[in-house]
This record gives sequence, C-alpha cells and structure tokens, in this order.
Amino acid sequence: MIKQDLKQLEERSIYIMREAQSNFKNIAALWSMGKDSTTMLALARKAFHGKVPFPVVHIDNSIDFPETYQFRESLAKRWNLDLIVAKSQIKPEMSGFACCGANKTVALKKVMKDYGFDALIVSIRRDEHGIRAKERVFSPRNKNFKWNYKNQTAELWDNYSSDEDSDGHIRVHPLLDFNEVDIWNYIKKEKVPMNPLYFSRDGYRYRSLGCTHCTTAVKSNAKNIDEIIKELETTKEEERHGRDQDKEKAFVMEKLRALGYM
Amino acid sequence: MIVNRVTLLGNKDHGKSTLIGNLLIQTGSVSEQRINDAKKTSKKLGRQFEPGYILDSFEEERLNEMTIDTTRAQVKYKKTGFEFIDVPGHEELMKNMLSGASYADFALLIVSAKKDEGITEQTKRHLFVAKMMGINMLVVAVNKLDAVGYSQGRFDQIEADIRGYLGKIGFRDDKVSFIPISAYNAENLVKISPNMKWYRGKSLIEELISMSKSRKEKKEGELLISIQGLFDGDERSVFGKILSGNLKKGESLVSLPNGKGAKVVDIFVSGSRKGNAGKGNVVTLKLDKSIGTSVRGVILARRRGACDSGSIIHALLLITKPIKGNLGVKINGVEARCKKMTVNKAIDIATGEAKTAKRIKPLNAGSVELELDRKVASDLFERTPEIGRFLLYANKSFAGIGIITN
Repeated sequence: MIKQDLKQLEERSIYIMREAQSNFKNIAALWSMGKDSTTMLALARKAFHGKVPFPVVHIDNSIDFPETYQFRESLAKRWNLDLIVAKSQIKPEMSGFACCGANKTVALKKVMKDYGFDALIVSIRRDEHGIRAKERVFSPRNKNFKWNYKNQTAELWDNYSSDEDSDGHIRVHPLLDFNEVDIWNYIKKEKVPMNPLYFSRDGYRYRSLGCTHCTTAVKSNAKNIDEIIKELETTKEEERHGRDQDKEKAFVMEKLRALGYM
Repeated sequence: MIVNRVTLLGNKDHGKSTLIGNLLIQTGSVSEQRINDAKKTSKKLGRQFEPGYILDSFEEERLNEMTIDTTRAQVKYKKTGFEFIDVPGHEELMKNMLSGASYADFALLIVSAKKDEGITEQTKRHLFVAKMMGINMLVVAVNKLDAVGYSQGRFDQIEADIRGYLGKIGFRDDKVSFIPISAYNAENLVKISPNMKWYRGKSLIEELISMSKSRKEKKEGELLISIQGLFDGDERSVFGKILSGNLKKGESLVSLPNGKGAKVVDIFVSGSRKGNAGKGNVVTLKLDKSIGTSVRGVILARRRGACDSGSIIHALLLITKPIKGNLGVKINGVEARCKKMTVNKAIDIATGEAKTAKRIKPLNAGSVELELDRKVASDLFERTPEIGRFLLYANKSFAGIGIITN
C-alpha cells in the first residue's frame, strides 16, 4: 500500500469540498463515525476555517456499536456539528445485502427527500474496492439513486461538475485519492479524534466499521495509530475483509451501489 | 511518496487490464485475497486465470472481458510509486479515455503484435489525444509476442509503424521507448524473459522508473491565482488555488478579466495562516476590498497582462461527438456561451494530416477560433495549462476538449 503525500491529498480534498460548496445549494455529508468520514469532517473544518458548514447525516439502524454512539455524541458536541440522525427500521431476519439495501438506502432516500439535499459528501476511497476505484469526484445519481456507471460524466483536470443535468443528486467524493494508510497517517498528523473500536482489545480490532450485525473484528494487536500503520504495511488481507456485504457473494457491492448504497 | 500517474492507451483486447493485473501481482502491489478472488471468478466462469479481473470488478466486465469506464491501480516498485489509469479501449468511450488521460504524467501504450491486430486507428486516436493533452513521454509495450513466436521482425515492424505516426504528431523520438512483452505470461514486465534474447533493453517497470526520473517540473512562471469562490459570502474573503508563482502577504494584485485591484491582507494555506504561498497551494485570501460578487474563474495576478482577458480564443479542438445546438465552453470553472466558431483547419487524427476545412468530424480535431459571450481569463496551454484548456459542450452535453494555442 503506497503512502502518498499528505499535504497534496489534504489540499486536493479541501479544493474538492470548496468546489462542492460553490456548485451546490444544499449539501449534506454522510457521517458513519468511522475513520474516513471523521477524517472528512476534520478536512471540512480546515476548508471552512473551523466550522463544518453543512449538516452531517448519520443513517442510524439502531444496531451500531455503543462506542460508536458515544463517539457520535461527544464529537458532535465538540465540533458543533449540525447532526441529523436518520433512523432506519431494521428487521432482525435481514442481513448483508438485504439489510444494507433495504434499510440504509431507504433511510438515506427519505432524508435526502425530506431536506431537499442536492449533493451528498461521501467518504469513499478508490483503494477500498475495485468498483469504488471507478468513481468520479462528482458522481451523479438519478432520482432512484441509481449510479449510471456505464455512462459516467466526463471529469477532466479539475472540472468536477457534472455535464448532464441530473434529476437526482450528486455524490461528492473528497477522499477518493486517499489510501487506507494515508487516512491513518493523516489522523496521526492532525490528531483527529477516533472511534476506540479501531484499536485492539483482547487481540482483536475493527479495521472497517459497519453495524454490529455485519462487521466482524480482525485479529490484531495494534493498540495505537503507529501500530495500525505498521500492521497495514504487512497485511495480506483486504480492508473490508470483516464486512459481510462484500464477500457474501460475488458482485454484491455492485448491486448495492446500483441501488444507491454508498 | 509522490505517485507518478500513468494512463494506459490502446485498443480493446490488446491486453491493457491483463498487463496491469500481472504488474500488480509481480510487484507485490495487490493483496493475496484480491488475487484469490480473481482466481475464483475465473474458475467460476470456466476460464483460465485472468489477471485483468483484479481490476475489472463489475460482473459484466468479467463476463464480457471488457473494461467499463476508467479504473486506477497503484504499484510500488523499488521506492517508486505509480498509479495506472486503465481506460476502456472502445471507440465510443472517448470521454472516459479523456477523463483518465487528463490526470496522467505520462502514458503507456499497449499494442498487440498479433498478425490481425497491430496498430489501429483507435490506437492512433489515443496517441493524438495524449499528445494534445500535454503528455510527452510514452512507453510502448508491444504485447502478445508469445503469439507471434517472439518474433523480433514483427516487433521492429510495429515500432517503425508507430514511430512513423508519432513523428507526424510531434512526439520527440527520444521520449518514446518500446518494449516487447507478453502481458499474460508476465514476460519483460518485471523480469526479463529468456524467450526474447534479442531484446537488450529494460523491463517495463524499470523503463517506467527511468521515465519518472526524467520528469521535469515546469519552470516557475509568474504569479497567477485562480479564484474558486467566496468564503461565507464575504466579498473580501476568497477561496483559490495558486497556479504559478509565489504570493506574499501584503501584495497588491489585480483581478482579471475585470481589472479590479485589491491588497492581500492575510493568507491561509489549508486553513492555517501563513506569510506566503506557492504553486499548487489551496488558499483563502483576505482582501482589503471586494473584487466583485461573481469571483469564480477570476485570476488574481500582479499585472494586467499576466494572462489573456479577452473573449476570442484560438484553440486546437477535439470533438467527441457530432456538434449540434448551442455551443459552450467551461474554462477554469466558469461557463461561457460560444457565439461563433470558425474552423480554420481540420485534422484527421488517425493519419495526423491537417487540411483546410469548414467542419470538424466527430472523433477528430481542428484548429478553431471561438468567440465567447464574455471575457474570460485564459492563457496559452503550454504556459499555464490550468487556464489554457477547456471543456466543450453542445446543448449542455460534453462534446470535446480544447487546448489554447497562438
């Protein structure tokens, strides 16, 4: 995994968020309280001089980890976030594809409609998944939240705006160029507050965080950021190894994203 | 680590994804899990292991053995980082190829040596576009040498063909190197193959490393700051990016094209207060007075003549689809309507031939004069690429790119 130049990555993310701010009227950001979207908020605070200027949305299926809820409350207060909690109802028999598709996506659609957001900042990265590697920085979704990956907009140089009029909304991806290890290096450099679940307890830690039903901890003794960075240099596993939705069966991610999942 | 961005060029089925897949494996740049996943998929589809599946992740990509849109993959070898941008080789997907190539530092062209494959019109189009977009270093991987008995004659013939075309479109001979490979067998990618003893050059990855070392940063130009927008609606607080030169706190600047002057009272780089800022920095500038309410696309400079501020643009245009209806351009973040377009010459990009013409055919280029409905800040592409290039729209739909020329 390549460690990239943090200064360059930071400036690019800031530039993208400012582009989003100039291009759209009503932006929101998704915040899962995970490492990527929390880093995005830290970058937004830099881009807009100390204040995250848009609402942050948590799609809450009520089965996130207790640590995650605690982290949400404390950081929302500390950073004075305009937090919107969008509750989704989960059915106990559902898991993986059905759960993420039916619950998270439905709740997201509702909150987007209720507030009339025209753009949504999502903290995905290209190195997470082969399909995410194909994403654009500004990526249109139609009114059914469908991603038309076969006919994406031209995105040249620093011109991010979509070329066709979209009847849905635009996803904005300021962290697309970051690698997993860059996120951790950035967290270290900027002392970004982190969800404690990422750090090893009793020989296990979460490398990628979802809800309690579908996320499993990976074996790890990495108790702090330096140890995590070291671990990433030698790991042979994929970051989302502990996420059911990706491995349940082939092409699940593709289908989820087609339904509007992040 | 600074990552060198390399765009892949070449025809469909000439082996782009296979090459990158095997390069990822050979350099240890991809997890075992991802390799195993690609192996499983190959098996499920009843096929031999296809390294390209590491990149091509969509179901239909794997089923149809094609690449949808652009994708990126990073390779690290001997302390040098590369990001390969794989683009679809299909003719109709030119806009994806453009999107990928626009981020590249140099290009890697893959051409199949098979009898019925070789250099195609599509390959030539890709080369023309890469050159037009400012890419001037190229590695050509002549692929599938295993299918032609590792023939040196066939390799030499392809090299001569391609050099002939590159000469026509102005590529410098010494900026291009040719390597015979078999992407599928991973020959000459990282390790030199014993099957092509006649080849005495470097492996592909070593050649790319040499190329990355010969990359030269552009000479420092004069101060030009591109303005993105206002911070919090405050006309004396602007977001921008330094395109060239160095800015010091306290300097008096002029905004182009409107000519309003202002002094820089404070500089913030990535949100932190600084005394100065340089090329590439993303900044917030506090000004002593307003330079207007509509600041997007404005250039701040030390003098009025630092860049062009007119409404007439001379450009080399590449058209990706038939042009109908209202024409517009987007340059440095601002849109302008094109009142009139005069074509001077049309270039058949498959042959590199230019001739006097009144129209430019789709997927071809031409030199034009554009009259815009407003003044815009711009510059020659070779001097300030960021404001020397633009997107072309026909009825609000992407229709090509332009490079500003004399």
